[in-house]
Order: sequence, then C-alpha cells, then structure tokens
Amino acid sequence: MADNPSFRRHPHPFSIDLVRWLPSSATSPSDRLLAAAVHDPSVASSYIHLLPLADPSSPLASLPLPSRATALRCSPSALAATTSTGSLHLAPSSSFDAGAAVAVSGGAGFHVGPVRGLDCGGEEWVTAGEDGRVHVIGGGGDGRVVARRVWDGKGMAGYEAAKWASPAEFATGGAGCGVQWWDQRKGDAPVTQCSGIWGHGLVTGMVHSIDIHPSRKHICVVGGSSGTIFAWDLRWPQQPIPLSGIGLHGIVQPVCESEVWEVLFDTYTQSSDIISSTSARILPVMICSEDGILAVVEQGDERPLELLAEPCAINSFDIDTQNPSDVVCALEWESIGVLTRGRDAMAEE
Amino acid sequence: MPGMPTDGGGAMVPFSGEPGQASPAPPPVRHIRHCVAPPISRVFISWSSGNLLQVACLRQPSSEGRGGVEEVGGRVVEVNLGAGGCGGVEVDEEIDAAEIRRIEYGSVPAFALLQSRKNALTEAAAMSHAPSLSEHAEWWQYVLEYSKTIGNLLGNPDSPPAFTLEDPKTILKVGEKPTSLRAAWELLEMFFVDKQLQGWLPECLVDWLDDFDSLLSKESTVYSNLSSFQKKLIKLQIVEDDPDYWNGLAAALSVGWLDIVFSLYFHQTENGLVEAVAVLVSTMPRMRPDLPSGKLGQCCKTRPDFIKVLYKTEVSYLYLQAWEKWRGQVNKLECSAFWIQCGHRKTRDGLKKLLHILMGNVKELTAATSHWLELFVSHFLYIRPFTVGFEGMHHLAQKCIELKPSSGTNGLTDLLVGILSENPEVVLAECTNNFGPWFVTHAMELLTADNDYADMMLHEERPKFGGISIEELHRIVYAQVLCSHSLTWQVSFCLKSCNFGHLIRVCEQTLEICRLYELENVSTNIMKISGIYHWKHGRKGDGVYWFQQAHDKVRLDRIAQQLFERIGKSVTDDSFKQWEGLLELLGSDIGSAGGLEFLHRYVFLPANSCLFMAFGFTFFPITFWYRDFKRSLQQAQEGRTGEAARQTAEFLIQVELLNCKPKPLLNVAETTLLLNKLQELSLAKLHPDFSSNHLPSHALNTVRLALASNLARAILEE
Repeated sequence: MADNPSFRRHPHPFSIDLVRWLPSSATSPSDRLLAAAVHDPSVASSYIHLLPLADPSSPLASLPLPSRATALRCSPSALAATTSTGSLHLAPSSSFDAGAAVAVSGGAGFHVGPVRGLDCGGEEWVTAGEDGRVHVIGGGGDGRVVARRVWDGKGMAGYEAAKWASPAEFATGGAGCGVQWWDQRKGDAPVTQCSGIWGHGLVTGMVHSIDIHPSRKHICVVGGSSGTIFAWDLRWPQQPIPLSGIGLHGIVQPVCESEVWEVLFDTYTQSSDIISSTSARILPVMICSEDGILAVVEQGDERPLELLAEPCAINSFDIDTQNPSDVVCALEWESIGVLTRGRDAMAEE
Repeated sequence: MPGMPTDGGGAMVPFSGEPGQASPAPPPVRHIRHCVAPPISRVFISWSSGNLLQVACLRQPSSEGRGGVEEVGGRVVEVNLGAGGCGGVEVDEEIDAAEIRRIEYGSVPAFALLQSRKNALTEAAAMSHAPSLSEHAEWWQYVLEYSKTIGNLLGNPDSPPAFTLEDPKTILKVGEKPTSLRAAWELLEMFFVDKQLQGWLPECLVDWLDDFDSLLSKESTVYSNLSSFQKKLIKLQIVEDDPDYWNGLAAALSVGWLDIVFSLYFHQTENGLVEAVAVLVSTMPRMRPDLPSGKLGQCCKTRPDFIKVLYKTEVSYLYLQAWEKWRGQVNKLECSAFWIQCGHRKTRDGLKKLLHILMGNVKELTAATSHWLELFVSHFLYIRPFTVGFEGMHHLAQKCIELKPSSGTNGLTDLLVGILSENPEVVLAECTNNFGPWFVTHAMELLTADNDYADMMLHEERPKFGGISIEELHRIVYAQVLCSHSLTWQVSFCLKSCNFGHLIRVCEQTLEICRLYELENVSTNIMKISGIYHWKHGRKGDGVYWFQQAHDKVRLDRIAQQLFERIGKSVTDDSFKQWEGLLELLGSDIGSAGGLEFLHRYVFLPANSCLFMAFGFTFFPITFWYRDFKRSLQQAQEGRTGEAARQTAEFLIQVELLNCKPKPLLNVAETTLLLNKLQELSLAKLHPDFSSNHLPSHALNTVRLALASNLARAILEE
C-alpha cells in the first residue's frame, strides 16, 4: 500500500459518486477540467461540479440535480448525467450552468428509478435503467431533446450499463441478462446476448460496466459482480473470454473479489505481447473495484498491474483521452484521486 | 397502544422525565408535514440511513370512493435529526463535520496497520512465550509511527503558509490554525509514547506551548497579549517608551519564545546593555538534544551514543555545567556598572525585568505570564530546569494553578493535569469528555503503549458492561457514531444492523463487508432483503437475481408459480419478449437454486403447452428441452395412452425448431413413430369425447410438416 508519489488525493466535504475528464482544448495540462457528481447527505443535495485539475477542491461551476447522480458521461459537445429518480440532464460544455441545461424528467414517460446505463454515441445518447427500459435520446431539431423508447423490459430485467459501439449499435448489461447487443437497423430488440462468465463458480451475476474499444467494435469488455471481468467477442458470441476471476488453471488469484464498478480500455498501457497482439487478443483493460483496487488487466496475464490499492472503495474512474497517462478516480471516502503515470515506469516494461 | 394517536395536543406518546429527576428538560419537538388528511390510523417509524428517520402516516382505507376525488392514502416523510459526527463539545466548535469525517477516513489505514502489527506480535509472543506486548522493543516504535501518522492528519502547526511576506512588524508566526485535537494528541504522544523524549519533557512542553498557546484561553494568554500588541506596534514610533513593549518582551521571554523576543528587540535603539541581554538570551542553555532551525539557545551538544548510554548522568552533568556558567554571566551583568550609564529609565527598567526573568525571579515570571500553564512552563525554563519526574511536575502544576487561579480550565489543561497525576482513568475521562469518540478510540493505543496499568484497565473484562472491556466499549461507541452518518457507516469496524432505505449500491457495500468478515449468513439475509426490495418495486429481474444469489429456493418457487399462472392466462408475442431477461436468469443452469428446473413440475400442465411456442427455442437450454422431449418420446413409444400422445404432440408444437437445426434432431425411426402418434392424435380429436382446446389444428399441421422435413433430412443423413 505504498503511496505512489504521482498519486494525489483531494478531500471534499461530500461524497464523490462519479468523476470524468472533460474533453478540452486546453494546451496546458493544468488547465484541464474534471466533472464530478457529488452528493451531500446532510442537506440531501446533489450536484455536478466542474473542477479545475489544478485545484479539484474548488468548483468553477455547479449544476444542481434533483437526486443522486447514477451515471455521468461527457461528449465533446455536452455533459450528461442520469439520476436515481430516473431523470437525464444534459449541459452543453460551452456554457455550464443551470439555465442552459436540458432535462428529461424521470417518471412513467421516461425512466422510473435509477439509471446507470448512459453513453453518448455521436449525436445520440442511450440510457438503460434498472426499470428495464432502454431509451435513445437525440435532438429534436429545435433545441429540445426527444427520448425514444427502444425497449421496455417492465422490470423483468434491470440494466446497469450501456455503451455505444457505432452510431447504430450499442451494448447493454445488467442483472441476469448478461450483455445484450442492440442494432437499431435491425429493430428494437436485442440482436444477440451473452450470459457472461462469472467467478466463484457462479452462473449468473450483475454487469456493472461495459466498454467497447473504438477500433475494435466487435469486442465488449465487461465488469461485474464477484470480481468478474470478461470480454465478449461478437464473432464468437457463445464464448466469453475471462480476463479475471478465472485463471487458466483455475487457481489464479483474481485482481479483486468484490464488485468491479467500472471498466475502460487502457490506451496507455502497451500490450505486453506486441508480436502476437492480433485482433483476437483483448487490449489491456483498467478496472476499479469496491475493495479499492485500480488495476490494469490483460488477457492471459496472470499478474495484473495494480495501480492503486486504497483502503476504501473506488467508485468511479476515468482515463483522460488526450493524456492517457492521467487517471482520475472517485474514492468512497469523499475524495478525488489523480494518478499520473510516468513515462519512465512504462519504459521499464 | 403504540401507534394510536391521542386526541389531546397531538402528542403521540406522553413524555415523562426520568424518575427521580425534579424537572426534566422538555424533549425537542419536531413538526412533520405529512399532508395526509386526518384521521390517520397508523404511524410507522423506522430508522433510515444516517440520522434519517422515516415516518409513515397511513389513513384508514376508505371503502367507498368519494366521487372520483383521489385522496392520499398515506405518505412517508423523512426527518433529518440533526448533524452527526463527533460528539465532542469542544471539537464541534472548531472543526466542521466534513473535516471530522476526513480524519475518520484518514485514520483507518494507520489504525488497521497498528492492529495487524499488534496481532502479529501477540501471536509471536504466544508461540515463543516471549514477553508481553509492551515489553517488545519494536512495539513503542510502531505506536510512535502510528501516532505521527494520526498527528499529521490532525493538522500540522509547523507547516509554513504558502506565501510569507517578511514584514518586520509581524512578530507572531502565521501558520495553520492549531486545533485542540492535535494539541491533545501531541500531549499524549509526548507523555505516553515517545521514549526518546523522556529526558526532555520540560522543553517539549515549551515547544508544545509555542504551538498551542492560543488554544488555552480566549482572553488571557501570552499569545493573545502579543497579538493585540502586534496591532499596536504598527502605530508606535519609539517602542521603548511604551510599557506594553516591555511587557510583551517579558511575556515572550518567560515562556521561552526567544525568536519573538529577538524580532521585538530589533525595534529599539541599540545600546550596550540591550546587546548584552540579547547575547545572554541567545546563549541560554537548553535541556534538549537539538533545536529546530530558527530557534535560539544553546542545546546540549553530545555525541549520539552518549544519549543512549550515559543519558541520565552525563547529559545532566554537561547541562548543569553550562547552566551554572550562563547563570554566572547573568548575575555578573545584573551587578555591572553599565546600568548607571543607561539614561533611558524605561529601557533600564525593562531590561532589568528581562534579566530577572532570566534569573528565575518568581514574582517577575508570575507577572509576565497570563495562564497557569505558561507560568508552569516558565518554571521549567528559569527556575527548575531539572524537574522531570511526574510527581514533581504535578506539584508544580498545582502551585501554578494556585498562583493563577483566574485562568480557568479547559479540556487541554484538564488533560495535562490528568497526565501529570499519572492516572489513566482521569486521562481517559478527559479525552471522552472533551475530544469525542474518535479521539478516545484512537488515543487508547497511545495510553497502553508503555503503561501496563492502562493496558490492564482498558482490556479487563467488565461485568458491568456486559462482559466487554472499556476499550471495546469505546470502539462500539465510535462505531455507532460512524454508523449514524450515511457517508461513514461502512467505515465502522463493527458490522451493525444496516438498513435498506436507500439502496444506492448500499447492498453491494454491505455484502463486501460481509465478504471481508466471512459473515455468510448475514450476507444471505441481505441478499434476500434486497431481492424482496427489488421485487416489491417492480424490478422482477433484479429481485430474482438476488434470490438466486441468496439461494432462496422457497421464494423462487413462489415466483415460478406466479410466472406460470400469468403466462397461462394470456400469451402474446410482445408480453413474452418482456419476460426475456427473467427467463434468461431462470434459464441459467444454476443448480438447486431456482433454475428452470422447477419447470419440470409444470411441463405437462396443459396451460403451459404454448409456453415453448411463445418463448421460442433459444430461451431454453437445449439439454433441458431435449431431455424432456426424449422422456415424452419414450412414453409415446410405449404407447400406453392417448394422453401420452397428446403430450408428445404438445411438445412437438415447437418442432418447427427442428427446422432451425442444420442436423435432424430425431432419427428416422423416431420420426416415423411420432408421425404415427400424431395421426392417432388427429384422429382422436375427431372423437366427440376428446376435450382439449390446447391443440389447434393448425398447430398439428405445422408439427406434421416439421416432422416430415425432419424425416427427409434424417433419411438423407442415414
């Protein structure tokens, strides 16, 4: 648990539920911005804060939310958040204030209950909620947003994650339903699905997060309960590939044993096996977990690269797309962590 | 009867004070806006997360509708019962709740590390019959390391501010605001843990006072006098004419703030006497091994190995020599002829006062200091630099309190007196009263570091507390404080009853705690509760998921029954699509806990025949489907009843699926047999006694067609 010198914690006086890098045109690294979903239980208020990386303790602007944020995503043009009461809030990145934000309120017409699946795919946003509904939200042409219901599972399945693969395709995941692939060109129903591969000898688990690499749109990487991380290749949909939890010989120590909250392809870590890194190989994946692990896992690699082992849960993290060496994470104990991976460390590998 | 509202005054439960108390304080009354029209028939109260109380007010369900006006049948209101955090009276004033939480979070790793080291040492001691924990050489160093980590967490008074403008008129240093928690922690560390400090305790107190003097009292301390003089200093032209200048100098000198004495000194006109006093001040021998940079005085320069071996005698001897020599110089100056030459009376009197302080004049020291603790420290500096024993210090403290009775007490001074009286019970009580549960829980480790009596006192099992020790009692109190806040509840070391008012991933967090502590039956219960919660809120998929995780066979069976009753009633393509997620869950081969196994019981019910058709083949694991199919085929082969044939046909209703497979599912003989049975069935249908509305004729035709195509493919294959 040695403290990494390139890791800084910034304490806040409230819970940090989610954190993301904002895409910015800033040339100087210190001018970069973070977006954080915060919640203060003492006054039961929730906000999205816009924070400068140079001093993440003092917000530049904040957007009030009706309830606790359950998902937060940034696109080049907007910042979106969904809440535990089923609403969606979109704020244009150009003017981050309550006046310019657009909201789709929760309820029978949209989502009922928490919405954890949220992603931006070009022009449209997708939301997938615990109520089993899937919506695609786009501009109505006149500044309004229009939500179209793709699917209503009526609570029979609950969704926890959503990720676009292309402007027409996206993946969702949740409790029991594993991962599902949707293609809007083929109608409003899942095209194919995969129940996943779970640790501890379990047959079913809950998907918490999905990521799809922009250059390999046929591969989803999935993080879920019981420390499960697996990849799902659409070309072999019946054979998910375990990345953690189940070793080749069944005795490998998994990266973590608790909930894997988020997964992201790590564009910074070079694959350890460059020669054989054909399109079949899964690229390195970064994960964060309830037991405080931030690590990079690779297919077939028995020793994952552990970046952080915190005494508290890491609820959320994000890799800066412009500077992939920089990672920001939301720690359970009311703080934001900023990790800078040095070039030297990588040269050694 | 609880829960029944009384008519008078609106009070739910009559409140009466504790028996024996004359006039109990009135209970705090909170008004709840529930907006439910009276009469309210029932009120439920339950704790939610943190300090939230959930109050549900329900009306009597009215039997007749009131002309279409929808009335609220009841409402749940959440009441926030004030801010949580530390219970310490003094602490709340200077540190806000978020800061306390930051300390609570930050102290967990250090505390956990110390506990694991303690366990390891205890285990090793048990194995090898080694001495007890406090006799271990490394142990106090572990505790010291822990103490330093926690101390840094409580604020660092030595940390310089980001920018310092060198203002000659600024005499008091500007640093981080000192906190009582840090001050109290340092006191405990100094007296109970750090063995290296044992010879230098008086000087440690001098340093401590330098950092925390402002906390002793708001009105009368050397610090407050100097800070008010600092404001005045800006306007003064000739400082030595002002009596406050000399009083300030005397005060700073009496508590040993020599750097402040010097920064004040530069403001006056130079003369020989002024310089001579300055030299004496700067060469004052200090009973300490080193001095931080910027501090004045002469410390005992000894070789490092000296301190270890000949620590008591040699160092004291060296110090004594230096002290005698310096005192001689002070006395010489006092008697010198220069005083007559000094024309400025105020300067002369002021310098004399300083000199008397250096000579240890009790009257001057008492006059110069404001608080008894300052007087106490000045005694160490100028009168009794060798008083290191606790007993001597305690006597001195009592004497100083008598001399300065007006200074009053606060948590810090009470704590110090408790420490000097060598009474761990008093120390613990002062910590509890003044610094809150967090402090006590973490400070107990310091008390027991090298004190066998405290160790015994804290760890002894007390029948009065239900068999737990004082240490455990304080830890439980602290855990309760943590639990009472929704952000810190997971920090609590003791797993206490968790509630499920806010299921924002609370379930997973709780399960994680169960996993770490191997509390499997607790986690099973939590999963069940979570399943019921989701099911009740219409998230059936999530509900089934959690029941499966909990291996709750009873509830899954109930769910299965509901599921099939519902499917039996109405079957449309769309409604089945909605069941997809659930079926995926139920369809997984999960073993004994709620897979599709229960379907076997329903498979031959007529209502379910269409189930397969509607669900489509893909949702059923082939093994399951095929096994039952074969069994039914066998029955058909035995050909006992027309009923068997009917059942077979029901299965075959989805044999369209045979077409989906590239390979024929049945061989030639089986297909022929089935075709025959199908023929029998269609003939039986014509019989007037046959009653089955589940086999539409078009379905039979489909089956026949599918079987025919399967037969063709089977023949080709053979």
